[in-house]
Amino acid sequence: MNSPLSPLIHLIDDDTAVRDGLALLIGTVGLRVQTWANPQEFMAQFDRDSIGAIVLDVRMPGISGLAVLDQLITEGVDQPVIILTGHGTVELCRRAFKSGAAEFLEKPVDDQQLLDALQAAVQQHVRSRERNRDDRDARQRYAQLSEREREVLGLIVAGLTNKEIGRALDVSPRTVETHRANLFAKLDAKSLAQLILRYAALVEDPV
Amino acid sequence: MTFRHNQLAVAIAGVVVAAVGCVVIARLEFSNLRAAFETDARIVHRLLSQRTAQHDAVMAMLVLLQPDNHAAHPEQRIPSVYPQILNVQQRKVESTWPDAALRSAEDESRHNRRAAVASVDFANGRYQLVQAAILNSYAAQIDLRGMVPWEEWPMPRETSPVRVLLQYNGQQFVLQPGHGHRGWWQFDFRKRLAADSQPFVVVAVRNVGGADLPWIKMLGWTLLTAAALAALLALERQRAKRRRAEELLRLGQVARLNTLGELAAGMAHELNQPLTALLANTQAARRLLDDDPPELDTAREAMQRAAEQARRAADVVGRLRRIVERPDVAGQLQPVSLEAAVGNALYLLEPELQRLAVKPAVNSAAVSVLAEPVALEQIIHNLLINALQALAQVPVGERKLILAMTAANHKGVLTVRDSGPGIAADVLPRLFEPFFTTREGGLGLGLSLCESLAAGMGGALTAAAHMPRGAAFTLQLPLVPSA
Repeated sequence: MNSPLSPLIHLIDDDTAVRDGLALLIGTVGLRVQTWANPQEFMAQFDRDSIGAIVLDVRMPGISGLAVLDQLITEGVDQPVIILTGHGTVELCRRAFKSGAAEFLEKPVDDQQLLDALQAAVQQHVRSRERNRDDRDARQRYAQLSEREREVLGLIVAGLTNKEIGRALDVSPRTVETHRANLFAKLDAKSLAQLILRYAALVEDPV
Repeated sequence: MTFRHNQLAVAIAGVVVAAVGCVVIARLEFSNLRAAFETDARIVHRLLSQRTAQHDAVMAMLVLLQPDNHAAHPEQRIPSVYPQILNVQQRKVESTWPDAALRSAEDESRHNRRAAVASVDFANGRYQLVQAAILNSYAAQIDLRGMVPWEEWPMPRETSPVRVLLQYNGQQFVLQPGHGHRGWWQFDFRKRLAADSQPFVVVAVRNVGGADLPWIKMLGWTLLTAAALAALLALERQRAKRRRAEELLRLGQVARLNTLGELAAGMAHELNQPLTALLANTQAARRLLDDDPPELDTAREAMQRAAEQARRAADVVGRLRRIVERPDVAGQLQPVSLEAAVGNALYLLEPELQRLAVKPAVNSAAVSVLAEPVALEQIIHNLLINALQALAQVPVGERKLILAMTAANHKGVLTVRDSGPGIAADVLPRLFEPFFTTREGGLGLGLSLCESLAAGMGGALTAAAHMPRGAAFTLQLPLVPSA
């Protein structure tokens, strides 16, 4: 039932019984689980490209869960991290969120709470990956524009009409119309709204 | 400033105070001695002056009383009245003194119109007094030693340290030898007698030396200073000891809290792991059973694992219980004075009592119980702390703390009553349960521990409401069996 493309949850806890129990529970909602007993091993080996989330126990021998979290963030790992702890003080909670944890849960954890958190984390991860892909796409398309087309795009984003653009660039409205058509084609925009939404941020310096 | 510095400062101050005190005492004694010496010397001068004036008067009277009857010789009777006048000679108008000294003295007497001395012989303690007159002149032989009115003499002649003498033209006559020792200082008195006719000089000398200093007073003062010093140091030491005791007590409490905190954190982790696994397994099993069709095999396995984890949690609890098993106090019982233990506990809490303006009423009794001293003090300390915390919640005027000791039915009984808010009826039965507390942040172990300790020593700790308001705790311990 677990397809290779379904999200992968990394579960890191030094306690075998806890690991097995939680893995079984997470598995019941169709998420794939990879368990790790050793944080160092996890850091060295886990698949950073996979879609999913990381569940991290705070109290582990050798290295604390918060230290692992810091390391993950430093490395730019984008999988959301859910922190599990047996002794949830306010201070610990504050530090976890400050370090970039997506969620902070106390052991023993309720199934619904954990599964909801995981679903939310996975969705967030998928969305952020999509957004990243879109950003990459937009940047590539923008790079294909000519100098004059970028100028026109900037003026469109600034809210000028074709006539006004023509006057500003000292070209005929017909020429502006041509650039405009090219822009929509090259940037794969279906509407003016979509064009502005996707590319406004890329326009460096509208006149 | 450390205690050792304090000690040094106090010692130096003590030496200074002792030395200054001794100097003051010595100076006081010195000036007393000088005043006494001068008074004595003035009395001596007055007495001798009176005698010489008397001699003048006698001689003048002889001249005035010269009878016409030459056969009567009043001068012959003078020595019987004035013992110091050994004899009186008369020079008839027509005759001359056989002695040149007397002649010259008579000339002087005539010229000065008063008596004059002649043949002053201090070596033998004699001199003559000559009175010239128109008719018969007289010369009296006077004994120096005899002229001193010893009955009026201000000093014990044989033992006095004052040396008294008369001087005249390089001669001197010692009236009182003076048991003079060599001295560091000397008192000196020198004055001519009042009668001009007998111009002798009274000299009094007294040496004052080490033996005259008020050594006993000085020693007394030094000892007094030393005693005060020792008392001060003892007080300081006691205060330091007390501070230390308070510090230790506070540290002990903090340490206990830390230990308990560690224990709780460790226990939480040890229990959380199996509970997490247990919960995850049972919840997974329920989900698996809810599936259509249910995954029975996996669910069965999950339930098996859940059971294992429940057993693991039970083991943790068992291990914990063995760790914190009640300390065995029964083996260390010894006779302890309940009164002393209460005194000790109150003493340690005195700052707290003062802060809350609570004056404990202690109904003392000499009750000796069998107990482990530290455990007993811990119980009393805990009861008092509880009482004080209760009293802090009522106005100052209504704070009452009553401690009573009695012995009855082979039991020594201590009751601690307070006028605090009291114990709610629903709380009373649970008061001695471990981890039961009504206080914010309380661990709920104080009374539980006290009860365990009391039970361990063969006694009991009970609580009741104190009328009209407050709580009463009663500690019972076995009395020391009378031999």
